[in-house]
Amino acid sequence: MIELWDGASMEYDKILENLLGRDDYLVVGHSVVRTDALEKALGRARFTADYIPKGTAVVKVVRSSQPHARIKVDVKAALGVPGVLAVLTAADVPGHNQIGYALPDQPFLNGEKVHYIGDPIALVCAEKEYAAAEAVDAVEVEYDPLPASFTLDAALQPDAEPIHEGGNVAVTTRIRKGDAERGFSAAEVEVEDTYETPYQEHMYLEPEAAYAVPEGAGKVTVVGTMQSPFLVREKVAHVLGWNLSQVRIIQALTGGAFGGKDDMGPLVCAKAALAAVKLGRPAALVFDRDESVAYTPKRFPARIRYRSGADGEGRITAVEVDITVDCGAYANRAPFWLWRMTAHAAGPYEVENASVDGRAVYTNKVFGGSFRGFGDVAIHFAAESQVDRLAEELGMDPVEFRLRNVLRPGSRTTCDQLLDHSVGMEECLRGAAEAAGWKRGRELGRKGSRVRGVGVGCAYHGISTSRSTPDWSAASLILNQDGSFTYRTGICELGQGSPVGHAKIVAEIIGAPLSSIRIEVPDTDSTPNAKPTHGSRGLMLGGTAAADAALKLRQRMISVAAEMLGCPEADVDLREGRAFNRQDPSEEVSFAELAEELYVRGVSPAAYGFYTSPRRFYDPETGLGVNYSVYTFAASVVEVEVDTETGQVDVVKVWPAMDVGRAIDPLMIEGQIHGAVSQGIGFTLMERLVVEDGLVLNPNFKDYVVPSALDTPEVAETIIVEEPYRHSAFGAKGVGEPAIISIVPAIANAIHNATGLRFNTLPITAERLYAALRRRKP
Amino acid sequence: MRPIPSFSLHRPKTLSEALELLQALEDARPIAGGTDLLVLLRDGAVSAKHLIDLGGVHELQYIREENDEIRIGAATTHAQLLRSELIAEKTPLLHEAAASIGSVQIRNRGTLGGNLCNASPAADTAPPLLALNAEAAVASTGGTRIIPLGDLFAGPKMNSLRPGELLTEIRFPTPPAGSGTSFQKLGRRRGLTLAVINVAVYLCLEGGVCREARIALGAVAATPIRMPAAEEMLEGRQLSGELIEAAASACRDQVRPIDDIRASAEYRREMAYVLTRRALMDAWERARRDTL
Ligand SMILES: Cc1cc2nc3c(=O)[nH]c(=O)nc-3n(C[C@H](O)[C@H](O)[C@H](O)COP(=O)(O)OP(=O)(O)OC[C@H]3O[C@@H](n4cnc5c(N)ncnc54)[C@H](O)[C@@H]3O)c2cc1C
Repeated sequence: MIELWDGASMEYDKILENLLGRDDYLVVGHSVVRTDALEKALGRARFTADYIPKGTAVVKVVRSSQPHARIKVDVKAALGVPGVLAVLTAADVPGHNQIGYALPDQPFLNGEKVHYIGDPIALVCAEKEYAAAEAVDAVEVEYDPLPASFTLDAALQPDAEPIHEGGNVAVTTRIRKGDAERGFSAAEVEVEDTYETPYQEHMYLEPEAAYAVPEGAGKVTVVGTMQSPFLVREKVAHVLGWNLSQVRIIQALTGGAFGGKDDMGPLVCAKAALAAVKLGRPAALVFDRDESVAYTPKRFPARIRYRSGADGEGRITAVEVDITVDCGAYANRAPFWLWRMTAHAAGPYEVENASVDGRAVYTNKVFGGSFRGFGDVAIHFAAESQVDRLAEELGMDPVEFRLRNVLRPGSRTTCDQLLDHSVGMEECLRGAAEAAGWKRGRELGRKGSRVRGVGVGCAYHGISTSRSTPDWSAASLILNQDGSFTYRTGICELGQGSPVGHAKIVAEIIGAPLSSIRIEVPDTDSTPNAKPTHGSRGLMLGGTAAADAALKLRQRMISVAAEMLGCPEADVDLREGRAFNRQDPSEEVSFAELAEELYVRGVSPAAYGFYTSPRRFYDPETGLGVNYSVYTFAASVVEVEVDTETGQVDVVKVWPAMDVGRAIDPLMIEGQIHGAVSQGIGFTLMERLVVEDGLVLNPNFKDYVVPSALDTPEVAETIIVEEPYRHSAFGAKGVGEPAIISIVPAIANAIHNATGLRFNTLPITAERLYAALRRRKP
Repeated sequence: MRPIPSFSLHRPKTLSEALELLQALEDARPIAGGTDLLVLLRDGAVSAKHLIDLGGVHELQYIREENDEIRIGAATTHAQLLRSELIAEKTPLLHEAAASIGSVQIRNRGTLGGNLCNASPAADTAPPLLALNAEAAVASTGGTRIIPLGDLFAGPKMNSLRPGELLTEIRFPTPPAGSGTSFQKLGRRRGLTLAVINVAVYLCLEGGVCREARIALGAVAATPIRMPAAEEMLEGRQLSGELIEAAASACRDQVRPIDDIRASAEYRREMAYVLTRRALMDAWERARRDTL
């Protein structure tokens, strides 16, 4: 039996409730106008490219035109191009040229071998764009081609050319829980199929960018678009061969990231930094759209063979899942991605017998990387399609069938993790179904060639990092002499608003007006390390570190205020920027007066908050253990209208529900849901990266089609389920990724409901749906 | 991707100035909204040393009706077309097509002349104007010639203008009472989308009989094209659902689409049938309403 909590972590949800003793919170749980909204709406907010002054050296990447080849690089001619300042190759990297995220398979600059079309070979630095472009062409790369693999099957052939040492299987995973075969023999119905999900490009509005400034000897500052300033610092220092303290990273406001900038932030900032250090002058690298789409990581494609069985009572008795992730040229995040898929393979259901195998395979294509949902989108597409099919085989309603299997408090996950609290799956499913007026065999309209259908999808998503990876976060809070506050977090603003969520947590705890808390831009020279803004951890982990800082400062403020007011500490309350005596609220001091007193008395006005996640545990042999400290649960019901003459699918309405632990800001949750609905529609219905022999043929908005505002359906008000998580501030859990996961299978299931057609491969474009309808016609 | 190669920009105030510049300068090209041209320049698909900006040539921006003819200056933007009451009332077909183009920003910059001269097989204003029997006025320093609009299109992204020529005007007869039109566009999404195919239909009824039928399709051949075989099937006949189906089928047989990143030829062919049928049914319905 596995011990769940080591008890070292504080139970933040209770502490805060008891401590604040408020019937209704001041800002937590209420929607506010984000403090950064106006600047952005007015176009005044500054993004990386806005910081680059004229006269900055231009950096361009020389890239491989071949998918797999040994290379020789000659930069002589390029150096002769007028206006060229330097051409840097692997030989110019002063530190380490190996920059693989999880495995040492990825050179920072490729000097000997290239692994996909677009692999970076050299950096051209020039005075102007034109000279840089000319010099990029002038770098002579001699290719000695190697056989290339573009599909999983080709890469897995025994005689396939290894893309990296050690062969084309980068990593494997497995789970053995119960006895799958015994489970299948107890099954009344069984369904089996293979599902395939494609690349998805993030298509953030702001492409990758970095601006680097050398600061005298042995220091460089880089401003960039990113999700993890401290990871960026680590990678820049690694490439330069410097100490962490010699590198200063500033995260400019980031114009969309969705995971992509977690991977690209370090790679782009390190290139700009290397150029700046080598040139001894400021240098900037800004990707254009083609580069961003064709050569940077995307959602990993995956192939999933899935067999599942259920008994006559509608209980899932076993699942057997075989997962193959297409890494592309580098493993990058594939080990974590694959593990997440493996761990979540059964979906949000209690299944006693599970056998899951996974492998991540190299191919000579653009590599995969972080993307909202991180493997859970693909695995839930398969799992939720399977669940629908089991229900159909049993003649059961898909909602009813799910309700018989969902994880509940006391359930054990596929990894045998006991879920003892904060498990709102059932409430989400019931809530979404009820809101949508879900009824078995409901008659859906048919209007001419248009048929309607409804579908449901459930999801769960482990928050933050998995297995035994240490997980912690830090933040700092300073009370200034005038009573205002300076808040610092390494959690990045990517559009999602996590730092504003932190500020709300702080405001609640110290009773300060939200507007008096200034959120500073993350700067590794002054901001505490909060670890990355990924894994839906920004609010849960970062916000709890904020709470820790606020609690410490609050205690000092209260004790000084008690003396100033001449009352016991227990009677002091903090609200609206003042401390007062609860017994006699007219007895008060403003935060400005209080701050002055703290400074005078030598009581520290600054607090450093630190939070660490409860310890987790994992057995690599069986895959069993405590994987994620907590899970967010979600369900969606989707109604679609299919035009059977054209194959076009119109998502008419979505009814979302989510167990968020605690809603710090309902409006920001809606924001995440609305964005995820669009991104989910894109992934399910239209986004299709066309890659031919390793070459991306549609690296632009014109032909890589993402949903427009007119493709956005009506989204019902989100049903917010609050099953607080014991170990986070106010019990909040992550929202960003869970928002997208259930949408995808819900749309596919709705299309099935409307047309009787089941699609195992995404995207379900109009043309594919049309062809399938035609094939079915007698 | 390269930066756009450098060029000189000229900003004439009058048509004759523009024509003279175009005549005199080597490797010169007109630019209107630039929403097609800048993309082509950046892709290296087109090069030019001199760009002659038509944005300041106000005499090329107008929409008016004269002697039962509607005349539109070539530099009129899609947004101006959309705002025109004359167009909305007398040629909803063109209004609907303009409304379907790009986004607000693109419609504010993009012009009718640019859309046609760019000669994309998928240009959204082309099928409606072909169905309206439009003519194009083409000017040079030597004078002006009038050609049927169809003759402007020479091939995919190729127009038939000679060096030194500008498209100055599009004109077509005001649709009479008893006529009905319809514009249908199929894209890969609902907004800001290039046509997988587009269809425009013009029908004129006289006592239930189809006096005139004009059907034009885009993105199904090297240029936007009319469908004479299908038109003939309808003309002089009493319209019916079956007849419309047959005419739409004839379009499916006549189109010569290609496979590209947006769709397969096969799908386009099938959609030529579906959209033409829808357009004919819709135009028929509107024509009947107009006759009442
Ligand atoms: C994001 C986006 C979305 C778009 N969506 C659509 C859409 O939905 N439907 C659609 O049909 N198009 C669409 N387009 C294409 C484009 O906007 C239109 O074709 C527009 O009408 C072009 O007009 P323009 O004035 O910008 O042309 P320009 O780019 O200025 O010119 C286009 C070509 O025509 C020539 N030209 C321009 N005016 C004249 C003239 N008077 N005489 C001779 N030659 C001339 C130019 O030299 C050039 O070769 C889109 C473009 C973008 C960038």
